[in-house]
Amino acid sequence: MNFEAIIGIEIHVEMKTKSKMFSSGKVSFGEEPNTCVRPLDMAFPGTMPIVNKQAVINAIRVSNALNMKIDHELWFDRKNYFYSDLPKGFQITQQARPIGSKGYVDIKLNDGSSKRIHIERLHMEEDTCMQHHMADCTLVDYNRAGTPLVEIVSEPEIRSGEEAAKYVDAIRSIVVFTEVSDGKMEEGSLRCDVNVSIRPCGSDKYGTKVEVKNLNSIANVQRAIDYEVSRQAKLLLKGIPVEQETRRFDEIKKETVMMRKKTDAVDYKYFTEPNIIPIRLSDKFVQDAIDTCPELASEKYERYISLGLSEDEANQMLQDLSMNRYFDECVKIDSSKAKLFWNWINGDILAYLNKNNLSINQFKVSPDNLLSLIIMLEKGELSFNQGRKVFENMVIDNASAIKIADELGLKQNSNVDEIQSLVDSVIDSFPQSVVDYKNGKDRAVGFLVGQIMKASKGKVNPQIANKLVVESLNKR
Amino acid sequence: MVKYDKALLVKCANNLMFDMSDEQYEVLLKEFDVLTKQMELLGEIDGLENVSPMTFPFDIYTDYLRDDVEEPSLSKDDILRNAKDVVDGQIKLPKVVG
Repeated sequence: MNFEAIIGIEIHVEMKTKSKMFSSGKVSFGEEPNTCVRPLDMAFPGTMPIVNKQAVINAIRVSNALNMKIDHELWFDRKNYFYSDLPKGFQITQQARPIGSKGYVDIKLNDGSSKRIHIERLHMEEDTCMQHHMADCTLVDYNRAGTPLVEIVSEPEIRSGEEAAKYVDAIRSIVVFTEVSDGKMEEGSLRCDVNVSIRPCGSDKYGTKVEVKNLNSIANVQRAIDYEVSRQAKLLLKGIPVEQETRRFDEIKKETVMMRKKTDAVDYKYFTEPNIIPIRLSDKFVQDAIDTCPELASEKYERYISLGLSEDEANQMLQDLSMNRYFDECVKIDSSKAKLFWNWINGDILAYLNKNNLSINQFKVSPDNLLSLIIMLEKGELSFNQGRKVFENMVIDNASAIKIADELGLKQNSNVDEIQSLVDSVIDSFPQSVVDYKNGKDRAVGFLVGQIMKASKGKVNPQIANKLVVESLNKR
Repeated sequence: MVKYDKALLVKCANNLMFDMSDEQYEVLLKEFDVLTKQMELLGEIDGLENVSPMTFPFDIYTDYLRDDVEEPSLSKDDILRNAKDVVDGQIKLPKVVG
C-alpha cells in the first residue's frame, strides 16, 4: 500500500530586537544567567506589559513577505498554564487575532518544480525562560523570558521531508534577510515543531498525527520527517495503529524517539489580555514598516541575475548574510562589475578568510579599494600575479591598488610604443628565434616573450608583448 | 455548570503533577462550594443572556507602542532573592520532565 504524508510545521522565530516583547529587558544570548531581567519578566506585582514597537514592525515585515493579510488592530490573549518556564502563570500571545493571516510562500524543489505552501497564521508572543534539565534537577535562567517571537503556522500541505526542508529554509531566508532574526537553528533562534501523519494515497481522512520536536537544523527536519513517515508506514502495514504522541529527533541515532504520549488535550483557558488595550495601527505605520523593510533574498536574486550572475552564483551569494552585505556594498559602487566582484569574493577573498580563520566582518579591504584593483587588472595595468601581490598587501592596510602597486613598483607597462621598442631590441638579440619562427616553431614566440618579461623585470603586459612579438616576427 | 467533586480535583492536581492530602481536598471543595454559590447568584440576574462578554470597561483604543530601548536589568541578587535554592546563578527546581 502506498501512503501519503501530511505535514504541518510551526516555526518559532526569536526576534533580534534590543528589548523584550512586553518589557524593556535586554534581549540576549549567551549572557550570564539571570542578568537580563526586568521586573515584568519575573512577574513582580504591579508590572504591566507594554508592546515593543520594533517587534510589531518586524511582524508586519515578515507577514508582508509571506503575502499575508495584516490585521491593523493588535489584540493579545493570555494562554494560561502553570509551569516554571513562565513565572506569570500565562504566556501573552495572539490566539484570537494573529497579526498575519492567510499567506503563502513558494518553494523550489530539487526537480526544478515549484510548490506554493499556504500559511495559516503569524502571531507575536513572548518566549519562555530557558530551563536546563540536569540529571536530578532543573535550573532556571530568566534571561530569555519575554524575548519577542513570531510563530508561523503552515497549512498541512507539505508532503515530504524535502518539501519541509525547503519550506523551513524559505522562512529562514525571509526572517534573516528582513533582519528580524539571525535565524540560527542550532542556537534556538529559529525552532520548528513538525506534525506528521500518513494516510493511504487517495484517502481524504487524516491519520493520527505525531509531533516531532528538537529539530536543530534544516537537514534534521528532512531526516526526522523521512524517518517518521517510514516508521508510521511500517506500523500501519503491520496493523498497529499510530499513537498520538510527541517525539524528538535523536541526532546520534538519526531517528525519532518518544518523549510523551498525548492524552487529554490541554485547555489553556485563553482570554483577552486585559492589561493591553487594543492597539490601532495606522495605514501609514503599516506601510512604512513594509516600505523600509530590507530587501528580501528573492528580490536580491532577481537583481543579481539582472546584473549578469548565473543562477548558481546568485544563490551562492545569498547563503551568508554578512558576505551578501559586502557584495551589495561593492555592487552599489559599480554594478557593472558584479561578476568580477563575485569572482574575487568567492575566490581570493574567501580563500584568504578561510586560511586566516576570519569572517567577512573582519575583512579590512573596502569595496572601493577592491574596485581599484579590479579596474587596474581590467585595464591591463597589472598582471594577474601582480594583482594577487597587490591583494596580499591590501588585506593588511586597505590602501588603494594604485598606491600599493606604486609602492611595490608593480605597475604593469601597457604602453604599446614602449613595449614595441623592447620587443624590437629583444628580437634583434635573438636572430635564431626569427629563423625558428619562420620554420614553423611557434615556441619561439614564448621564448621571446619570456626574454621581454625578464628584461622588463615582469612589468610588461604579457598579452600586449605577445601580440607585438607575433606582429614583428611576421613583418621580418 | 461543572460539578466539583473530589475525583475532578484529584484529576486536575495529577494533571499538574502534584498531589494533596485528604484534608486539603476537603478545604478546597468547601472553597469551590462558596465560589459556585456566588456564581449562581450572578446567574439569577435577569437579562444576562443579552449582555455580551467584555474585556475592557471602556471601548477605547490606543496607538501607543514602546520604543525598542533596553533598560538596566534587576540585580542578580534581587532576581534570586526569593528562590529557595540557587545553583550557578540559576534557580534550582525539582525535575518534572523525563
